[in-house]
Amino acid sequence: MAAAMELRCWGGDWGLPSVHTESLIVLAYAKFSGAKVTVSPIDWTWKTLTATVPELLCGDSAVQEPAQILNFLRKRRCNADYELTARQGADTMAYIALLEEKLLPALLHTFWVDAENYANLTRPWFASRSPFPLNFLVPSRHANTALSRILLTKGEAPLHRITEVEGKIYSDAKECLNLLSYRLGTANYFFGNSPTSLDAFVFGFVAPLYKASLPSSPLQSHLRQLDNLTSFCDNILAVYFSSDQPCPPPPVQERMDANLQKLTQLVNKESNMIEKVLLLSFYRLFAWVHGCIWQMDDNLRSSPQHKPHRPEPKHSLASEKSSTPA
Amino acid sequence: MSLAAEAFVSQMAAAEPWPESATLYQPLKEDQILLSDCASSLAVQAYLRMCGLPVQVVCRANAEYMSPSGKIPFIHVGNQVVSELGPIVQFTKAKGNSLSEGLDDVQRAEMKAYMELVNNMLLTAELYIQWCDDPTAAEISRPRYSSPYSWPLSNILAYQKQWEVRRKMNAIGWGGKTLEQVYEDVSQCCQALSQRLGTQPYFFNKQPTELDALVFGHLFTILTTRLTSTELAERIKSYSNLLSFCRRIEQTYFEDKSS
Repeated sequence: MAAAMELRCWGGDWGLPSVHTESLIVLAYAKFSGAKVTVSPIDWTWKTLTATVPELLCGDSAVQEPAQILNFLRKRRCNADYELTARQGADTMAYIALLEEKLLPALLHTFWVDAENYANLTRPWFASRSPFPLNFLVPSRHANTALSRILLTKGEAPLHRITEVEGKIYSDAKECLNLLSYRLGTANYFFGNSPTSLDAFVFGFVAPLYKASLPSSPLQSHLRQLDNLTSFCDNILAVYFSSDQPCPPPPVQERMDANLQKLTQLVNKESNMIEKVLLLSFYRLFAWVHGCIWQMDDNLRSSPQHKPHRPEPKHSLASEKSSTPA
Repeated sequence: MSLAAEAFVSQMAAAEPWPESATLYQPLKEDQILLSDCASSLAVQAYLRMCGLPVQVVCRANAEYMSPSGKIPFIHVGNQVVSELGPIVQFTKAKGNSLSEGLDDVQRAEMKAYMELVNNMLLTAELYIQWCDDPTAAEISRPRYSSPYSWPLSNILAYQKQWEVRRKMNAIGWGGKTLEQVYEDVSQCCQALSQRLGTQPYFFNKQPTELDALVFGHLFTILTTRLTSTELAERIKSYSNLLSFCRRIEQTYFEDKSS
């Protein structure tokens, strides 16, 4: 391989290398195919707004969208599907279409449209991973895209309300999970003994639903009953991602994060926004200064000839939820 | 349709046998219907013929507005109206007619997956070519779609439909695709179907299922419809087993009735 490959994606949490479905697909495929990819999370940068995620950068070329990135990797001889027969390749395409048509709408709804999950989990997470002014923009932008995608693809006529399609997309998604469970059976992977691109796609779609601590989700409780799908996710996490776990942050930050998290939730739940947003910004400023002092203090104590580095205090102030190991 | 309504419909359906007077509604065949609607309608007709359920096809200019979901085609059986292939399959199943009864769980999963492949690729490609390819939209889709209406309304409705489809394409990430990329997707989809079919008469060997009806509906319509370019049909013609599959279903289920 000539040029180094860099993958831009959303960062990890909830015991997953990334919380974002499309990013997770590419990360899993890169591991399966043995591609040497440098992962650079976009968290806490302006790329949360500007970049299309996931994006693979290789020399001068930039590739977007999971399917295109997988093709690109295959062309560079990082092929996890090398041993599949033509018939199995056709099956892969068909099951990916099944996931996109039946499971994706319900996943988007669970994470971005369902008011309780959005206010308590998705919005705090994505807001905490975006730099200051963007934290008000990025989550709602994602939520709007998700809602309009569901309405345009599953809504029966223009101007139809979301409640009318909810029942249908959830029953479709449950059926899709059942079908995947039947297809997987007792095997470790979908085709034989080694994982392929279909495994990457199923993992990317199912793992966030399995690992996220959603306040309310009938789909998640349905998934938890399908033992072979959950152990499929656990197995891939254990075999391919076990060394990736970020080391737990120091305990002081954890306490601080818990407070911040409570405050964020409060702000998200209540409607009288402005005062609370101001309060939160002050608290964040305070936390940031506090974090800096701690960091400096720590660094001074541990190594006299330290280099001061910027990203770490940033990390401490914004990683509100990353401190809860699964 | 809500889940409760769906359950109610299927219970009602079970009670009554299939009536002789069942009707299928679609837009006007000669001047109005578009490729994608024609394909969906043919798929339902093929499915009902495979089940041996008689249905009378009726063309109405306002079929789209008569349909409960706004999609073509829909059937009117007894005092019930059901639209689209998926719900119609469930409806006939409740009446005791099912083509996929003999399949096991894994085969049924496979069947559903390939049906979604057809919807995800072929149907989307048909919609893209109809409404996002400018020559086809201007020469064929807009005039045909608006043919029953008079002047200001015809333009309004046609552009509204085009705008709606384009928004959908943007939402699913097809907005930025070129025509060539869409043809390439159709080729890939046909190659997958061709691989899956192999040398068998039907996708699950001897017995046809709803998957066969759906694939037949789309491929046969693409092969027999004249568009501004023949490229789409040419892509399918390179898979000989799919061509003979279409011919086989046409001969078995459509020819004896018309002669």
